Amino acid sequence: MTKLSWSKNWLGSRRLTLLLAVVLFVVGLVALKADPREMQPSEGGLKLAGKFLHAAVQPALDYQADDLPASAPSFWSKVGRSLALTLRYAIVAMSLALVGGIVFGVLGSRAWWPAVAQGSRASGLLFFFLKCLRLVVRGVATLARSVHELLWALLFLTAVGTSPLAAVLAIALPYGGTLAKVFSELLDEEDASAAGVLWAGGASSLAAFFTGVGVRAFPDLVSYTLYRLECAVRSSAILGFLGIPTIGYHIATAYEDGHLREIWTYLYVLLAAVMVVDWWGALVRKRLSRSKPAREAGSRHDTAEELHRKRPKSWALRLSLVAAMAAVMLGWMTEKQWQSELPKERRQANLERFMMEIVPYPVRQENDWGELWPWLGERLWTKGAIGLHRTFHIGTIAILIAGAAALMVVPFAARSLAGRDPLGLPGGREMVSGFRAGVGWLLRIAALLMRSIPEYILAFLLLQIFGPTVWPLIFALALHNGGILVRLGAEVVDNRTIRAAELLIVQGGTRRATFLGVLLPDSFSRFVLLIFYRWETCIREATVLGMLGVLSLGSLIDEANTRLYYDDLFLYVLMGAALVFAGDIVSDLVRRRLRGPMVRSSAFRSG
Amino acid sequence: MNTVLQLADVEVSFGGIHALRGVSLTVEKGEQLCVIGPSGSGKSTLLGLMNGRLLAHTGSVHVFGQDVAALTARKLRRVRSELAWVPQNLGLVPNLRVLQNVLCGRAGRVGFFGLLRRMALTSMNEAEEVRALLERLGIPEKLYERTDTLSGGQQQRVAIARALYQEPAAILADEPVASVDPGRARSLLQLLTTLAKEEGITLMMSLHHVELAREFFPRLVGLQAGKVIFDQPASETSEEELRELYAVGEE
Repeated sequence: MTKLSWSKNWLGSRRLTLLLAVVLFVVGLVALKADPREMQPSEGGLKLAGKFLHAAVQPALDYQADDLPASAPSFWSKVGRSLALTLRYAIVAMSLALVGGIVFGVLGSRAWWPAVAQGSRASGLLFFFLKCLRLVVRGVATLARSVHELLWALLFLTAVGTSPLAAVLAIALPYGGTLAKVFSELLDEEDASAAGVLWAGGASSLAAFFTGVGVRAFPDLVSYTLYRLECAVRSSAILGFLGIPTIGYHIATAYEDGHLREIWTYLYVLLAAVMVVDWWGALVRKRLSRSKPAREAGSRHDTAEELHRKRPKSWALRLSLVAAMAAVMLGWMTEKQWQSELPKERRQANLERFMMEIVPYPVRQENDWGELWPWLGERLWTKGAIGLHRTFHIGTIAILIAGAAALMVVPFAARSLAGRDPLGLPGGREMVSGFRAGVGWLLRIAALLMRSIPEYILAFLLLQIFGPTVWPLIFALALHNGGILVRLGAEVVDNRTIRAAELLIVQGGTRRATFLGVLLPDSFSRFVLLIFYRWETCIREATVLGMLGVLSLGSLIDEANTRLYYDDLFLYVLMGAALVFAGDIVSDLVRRRLRGPMVRSSAFRSG
Repeated sequence: MNTVLQLADVEVSFGGIHALRGVSLTVEKGEQLCVIGPSGSGKSTLLGLMNGRLLAHTGSVHVFGQDVAALTARKLRRVRSELAWVPQNLGLVPNLRVLQNVLCGRAGRVGFFGLLRRMALTSMNEAEEVRALLERLGIPEKLYERTDTLSGGQQQRVAIARALYQEPAAILADEPVASVDPGRARSLLQLLTTLAKEEGITLMMSLHHVELAREFFPRLVGLQAGKVIFDQPASETSEEELRELYAVGEE
C-alpha cells in the first residue's frame, strides 16, 4: 500500500525531485564538457563589456557614423520604422494565430463533448470519433509549435524568399499552435456548471458550451492572448537576425558596425514596446476580472431604461477593444506588398527547387528511397545525436539554474513577504522595512527587465563577451526564464492564503522561517509545475540559440543553411521539432500528474 | 394530462454502487414536493433522472407522458425546455450581467443565434420584462450589475429569476439554499414556493434541512440508501420517521 502510493506520488516527493534535478545538472555539465572556468570572459570580451555597459547609459540619439549620404533618413525615422514593422508583424501574426487558436483550441478541448454526445444515442461511437479528432487536432497544434518561429522563418525564406508574408506566417504558425493548446486547457478547466444548467433547460450543446464555458473562460482567454502578443513582439524583433528589417536586424547591423550606443537605443525601444503591451495586458486583465462600480447606483424604482443608462461600464475595456481592432486593421492594410518582390515565376521556381532539395541527396541522385537509410544513419548517429543531446542539456541546465535562482529570489521579491506587513499581518515597526520593500521592488523590476529582453538577443550579446562556449546560451536562457519564474513564483506565494504560514508569523516566526518552513513545502509542486512548463519552452528556445555559433542543433541548421544543403537543414529542423514534441508530451504528463486528476465538466452528468 | 413525472421501478447504479433501487414516484401538475434524506441517499440522482441528465438502467421515466429513454435528441430538448434546473452551486456565469444570466433561461426556446442576439443586443422590452421579474424577487436595481458582484443570497435570486424566465412547467432545485443562513433560506423558500404556486409551476426540491422541508412543502419523499422510505403529506410525517431516516450513518 505504501509502496503503491509512493510510486504514484514520486513527483510530489521533494527529495527525489531535487535529486533528479542535481543529477540532470551534473550529467548535463559533463555531457557538454562545460568547464566553469570558461565562464571567465576573455580580455577583449571584458573590454567590450565595459564599453557596452558604458554605452548603456548614453544610448544613441543620432547616427553614430558621420559619413552617411545626405539622402539617408533621419535616425529616429529609421528607429520608428523598425519599431512599426516589428509591431505590425507581431499584430498581424497574432490576428492569424488567434483565428487558428480558437478553432483548434475548441476542437481540441474536451469541454464540449458531453454537450454534443449526451443528446445523441450513438454516444459510444461519437465519443470515439471525438477522441480521434481531438488527438489529431492537438497533434497538429503541437507540431506547429514544435518548430521555433525562427526556424519556420528560415524554411519560408529559403523556400520563397524574404517577404513580409513569410515573417508573419513564421510567427503565426507556432503561436497559433500554442494558443490552441492553452485555449483547450483553459476551456477544459473552466467550471461547466452554467453550461450544465442551460443544457438541462433544453439549450443546444452549442449554446450551452458557448455561453456556459466560452463566455466564462473569456477573461482568461483574453489575458493569455495579450501575453502572447507581448511574446510576439519579441519574436518579431528577433526575426531581424534573419534579415527581415525589424528591430533585431538593426541591432545586428549596429553591432557589425561597432555602434554600441545605437544597439542600446533599439534595445530600449523594444523594451518600452514590450512593457507597454505588458502594462496594457495587466489593465485589461484587471478590468475583466472585476468591474468598477457604477458612478450612480440604480434604485429599485428605476425603469429598465434608466438602469441601462446608469449601468457600470469600463471605458478602458471599450477603448482597448477599439484600439485592438484598429491595430489589426492598420497592420493588415499598411503593408503594400505581402509577397516577396520577386516575380511570380521566380518564386514558383524557388519553391520547386526547395521542395526538390529537401529530399536527401542520395535519394535525389539515385531516385531510390532505399538510399535514405545510410544517409539518415550517418547524420543521426554522428552530428545529429551530438546536436540533439547538447541542445537538450543546454535547455535543461538553463532551466535548473533559473529555477534555483528564482526560488532563492522569490521570498525577497514577493509582495506579501517583502512589504512591512508579512502576509498582510501587522509586522510592527522595523528599521529595515523600507530597505526590504526597496529590495523587493528592485528585484521585481530586474525580473521584468530580464524577461522583456528576448533570449536570442541576450545570447547574442553575451557571446561577444564570453566567447563561443555554451555558457552564454545557458545564461541567456536562465536570465530570461529566471525573470519569468520569479514573477510566476511570487504570484504563487502572493495569491495563496495559507493558514499555517499566517500562524507561524503570528507566533513570532521570521519571514525566512515562514518561507522555508511553510510556503516553500506547500507550494513546492506548484513551483515544480512552473519549472516544467518553462523547461519545455527552454528546450524549444535552445533549438535556435545554437544558430549563433555554438555546437548544437541550431548550429547544424545554420551550417546546412550556409552551405545550401537543404536536405540536411530540413532533417535538423525535424530533429529539433521531435525533441520539442517529446518535451511537450513529457511536460504535459508531468504537469497533469502534479495537478492531480483534471476537473472534468462533471456538471453535465450530475448535480 | 396532469401527470408531470412518473418513475416506475427505477434502478440507477454507478460503477456497481446502487444509487437508486426500485424507486417509483408520480408527480402531478402544480404539486410541490421535497426530497429529503441523508447525504448519498440518492437525492441528486433522483432529480437528475427527472430532466434526463441521467438515464435509468432499469425501469422507466416518463416526463409529460413521454418515455425519456426513447426520445430523439430534438424531442428530449423540447421536454427539457419545460423543466428549469437550479443546482446547488447555482450555475451562473459570474462575469455576465444579471440581465444576461436571466436571458440564458430561454436558451432552450430561442436557439443559439436567438440567445446571442438577446445577450448582445437586448431590446428595452426584454430588459423591462427581466426587470419586472427581478422586482418580484426583490432585486430590480441589480439588472445591469455583474453577477459576481452580488451577494450569495442575491445570486440565488438571480438563479431563480433565470428559472422563472424559462417559463417552465416544473422547476427542479437541488439543495438551492445549502449555503446561506437560516433566515435567508427561509425567505428564499417562501418566495420560490409562492411564485411557483402563482404561476402554476410544479416544484421539486431536495433539502438537507428537514425543518425547512416540513415548513414549506406539503409532500415529503424520504430517501435512504437509494430507496423510498416514505412518500406522504408533511403533516403526517412524524419525528420518529425522520429520526429513522437520518439514523443510518450512526450505526
